[in-house]
Amino acid sequence: MATLHMLSHSPFSDSRLVSCLRLLGPGDGVLLTGDATYAMQPDTAQWQALSLMPESISLFALEEDLHARHLALPPRVKALDYPGFVECCTAFAKVNTWL
Amino acid sequence: MSKSLLIICRQAPWSGPGAREALDIALAGGAFDLPIALLFLDDGVFQLQTAQHAVAVQQKDLTANLQALPLFGVDALYASTRSLDERGLSGQPLSLPVQALDDTALTVLIAQHDQVITL
Repeated sequence: MATLHMLSHSPFSDSRLVSCLRLLGPGDGVLLTGDATYAMQPDTAQWQALSLMPESISLFALEEDLHARHLALPPRVKALDYPGFVECCTAFAKVNTWL
Repeated sequence: MSKSLLIICRQAPWSGPGAREALDIALAGGAFDLPIALLFLDDGVFQLQTAQHAVAVQQKDLTANLQALPLFGVDALYASTRSLDERGLSGQPLSLPVQALDDTALTVLIAQHDQVITL
């Protein structure tokens, strides 16, 4: 049963991203929203950790949060609008929100 | 058949309402006989420390709530081996009989449950 892990806290001030990446299983997904999108900042250990995830892990980011922060979308990551967000959530057996 | 719920508790007892809220969910679910498991991850493992003294910081003691878990039928209690190790708690007496699991086993644990909440 694949899980979509949803993060919204900055990975530079918080350990959620690191803990989450350790617990990912094959087929799981990571959705970055809010300040969690800073994980895509190039030349950072956080982005390196994310980009080194196996291909079976899908990466998503909320488009408006990317735009707001002037972050570029790495090829590996799929940008989602709100309808896409909902669709993405339903594509996984469950969603684990790291509150 | 009720859906199984895994509650991942990753906050220290004093950092805010998160730890208490996660426990409340577990106890409420247990009272309704839902299949519930509780995982202590990251700073959440600090909840398992014995002989805490909540009064010193004008708070209520969570230890009593933790002890109530088995009474409410919440017996599936886990902790991350890594989180315990990192915080010097492995080999220490803990306030609850948790099963320590490594990262691989935690991945399986998450996959096995129908729903997951992380607080």
